[in-house]
Amino acid sequence: MAENPYATLHALIVDDFESFRITLSKMLQEFGIGTVDSVASSNDALRYCNSKLYDVILCDQNLGKGQTGQQILEVLRHKPHLNSDSLFVLVSAESNKSIIMAAYDYEPDAYLTKPITGQILGQRLERLFKQRMALAPIYKAMKAKDVNSAIRLCEAEIAAANRYTSSCQKMLGRMLLQIGDLEKADALYRNILDVRQLDWAMLGMAQTKKMQGDFLSAQQWLEEIIQFNPLCLKAYDVLADIMAERSDYQGQQQVLQNAVDISPLSILRQQELGDVSFKNNDLLGAANAYRKAVKIGENSCHDNIKFHESFAHAGIQLAKLDKNLASTVLRDALKVVAEIPLRFGKTNSIKINALLLESQLCVASGEARRAEEALLSAQKIIGADSSVATVDIRIELVRALRELGDRSESDKIIAELLNEYDGDEDQLQKIDCLLDEPCSAKNKALVAQINKDGIAFYEAKDFGRAVDCFTRALQDFPQHIGLRLNLVQALMGNFKQEPEKLTLLTAIQQMMDHIRKIIPDSHTQLQRFRQLEELSRGIVASATSAQ
Amino acid sequence: MNRDVQEVDFSFVLASSVHDMKNSLGMLLNTLAEVMQQYPPQNNEHAKSYAVLEYEAARINSELIQLLSLYRLDHDQVRADIDECMVVDVLSEQVARNHGLLQARQLELVLQCDESLSGYFDSDLVGGVINNILVNCARYSRHKLILSAQQTAEGLCITIEDDGPGYPQDMLNASTFAETRANFSSGRPHLGLMFANKVALMHCNKAQQGFIRLTNDSPLGGGCFRLYLP
Repeated sequence: MAENPYATLHALIVDDFESFRITLSKMLQEFGIGTVDSVASSNDALRYCNSKLYDVILCDQNLGKGQTGQQILEVLRHKPHLNSDSLFVLVSAESNKSIIMAAYDYEPDAYLTKPITGQILGQRLERLFKQRMALAPIYKAMKAKDVNSAIRLCEAEIAAANRYTSSCQKMLGRMLLQIGDLEKADALYRNILDVRQLDWAMLGMAQTKKMQGDFLSAQQWLEEIIQFNPLCLKAYDVLADIMAERSDYQGQQQVLQNAVDISPLSILRQQELGDVSFKNNDLLGAANAYRKAVKIGENSCHDNIKFHESFAHAGIQLAKLDKNLASTVLRDALKVVAEIPLRFGKTNSIKINALLLESQLCVASGEARRAEEALLSAQKIIGADSSVATVDIRIELVRALRELGDRSESDKIIAELLNEYDGDEDQLQKIDCLLDEPCSAKNKALVAQINKDGIAFYEAKDFGRAVDCFTRALQDFPQHIGLRLNLVQALMGNFKQEPEKLTLLTAIQQMMDHIRKIIPDSHTQLQRFRQLEELSRGIVASATSAQ
Repeated sequence: MNRDVQEVDFSFVLASSVHDMKNSLGMLLNTLAEVMQQYPPQNNEHAKSYAVLEYEAARINSELIQLLSLYRLDHDQVRADIDECMVVDVLSEQVARNHGLLQARQLELVLQCDESLSGYFDSDLVGGVINNILVNCARYSRHKLILSAQQTAEGLCITIEDDGPGYPQDMLNASTFAETRANFSSGRPHLGLMFANKVALMHCNKAQQGFIRLTNDSPLGGGCFRLYLP
């Protein structure tokens, strides 16, 4: 009898059904695998994977509670991990794999549809192990970060025109893009596309064109992919990147929105959509995306406290514009904030930040007493442990104090901050979000640039772009009166051009209300504010009488 | 009659309940495996009963998958994810999937495919088509099936032949299998062929489009199904 080549291999089975684990385990042993472990839950799967190296992992997609099979794969592949290179076979009852795969960046090595027979499993594993062996030198070079050798080996394998050609072409393309050899990448993808319009090659070509700076060609490739295969979510990602590079942030938001509409389970995309919507001052859009990101984050290695806090911030700001719209966001955000210490650790700084956010959320939802209590609790912790009073925490403290109307205390902290960090550009940049006029060199230049661009658009009567330009600056400089007044003027110009757009009218009113709350009596632009107030009243009055 | 009731999208209701049925069936298959584990067959009769249970459950499963796939195809929820595939891999996987069925029916299946033959297609969709046709042929075939593939002027051709009675005349005449209504009236909707036809149509290359052909000219004496993928 021939020697069993799989006798020394280790396999892990992850399935919540015992009968399935037993059946699969038997199949693997009959196939010849020496050691087979099996577990029922994602937690156990990760525990085993953290302590033992497996050659192959057979994992069910739907594990009942906790993480899905795809999310386990994500944990193993996301960062260097003991089992990063293990063969990962995803098992599912769903016959349409694109439905499951669309949301994730990491593809399993194989996908098997239930019911699985011993024959099917054996065949597939044998093929996978053979490929592993055949391409081992390439994997080894890649792992050693020896990209040039890996590229040479790939090219040799492609020249041999065997069953691994297609896999090697894909790997080669990725590596060429990685080292920026665009000429070679262009040639590789062009050769493949001459034979057949394959999605992955079109995507590679689009990435090549983007890196060459040819955004128009890249965009054409991407739109073609999306037209024929709307499930190709990577195409949306590249398209969104291109929009961002061209400073078309509204376009970027729209593309990401389309992508999450198709596949809402992608946490990274939801996080990015939240951020770009926030930047575009679409607070409801931002809140919705952050809410989903927080929800999916429960079982994802990409979860991050930042997005939980951003969800709260979006709610707090939305409440300033529209209390009704904000009410459900505020309710959900209070829950999310309360859970932050449980989820991310009960350190003092995490607790304080959560309390300060809770305080602001309570002000926004009209619970002044609870807001004061939360603020007081936060201040108590800071009082007992002054080491936690970092710039970030004090910035949040200023926001909370302001929400509760305590101007003198908040101004005092700002003065202390400016004094302490005088000349410290990095910290000053952070503090700028609390100030009317920025104090850091970078942000001074940034505001000047935004004003220059926005005013140029305004003077060219391109009011839409002027509005976008000033809107984009709102989140970075929420206290900047001048920028807000410029925005109001741009909105007025825009409304004169397009009087049917009543949303502009609402935006003007909301912005004026906001400025009225934050503008100090001594402000240099108070005069201009009064004039604009007069003007806006006139516009609103004539618009309502016209209706 | 209430208008609202009439406007219920029946195909959606059907698709949702098919989805539920598939989940229940999954549980059923799991439990069956458990029972077989705990009470291994004591004699030939037992083993046969188990085999029938397993086979029929698997058949319902593939029928449901097919229904669901047709619904999704019809509602534009499925796209062919076309990539270069090794044909022999896709064919042998379907042979392996039906190993038990072929054994239970004492059918010989011959696989004829060049190891190096590759093609451009969606391996899951095409695999599903081959599986459906194989399961169907297994019911009508007497002793032997041939599953083969070769490159032709009209693209890659996957052929499934059997030594059964052949396809009935009305099926041979049908140019497409999309007309469910007509077929429903004659009693059998030929879901498998409808599915195969849709999958074929989803495979395009430049001006060429995939198609299926049914004939009764197999050297085995029975029906012959051909799937052409450009």
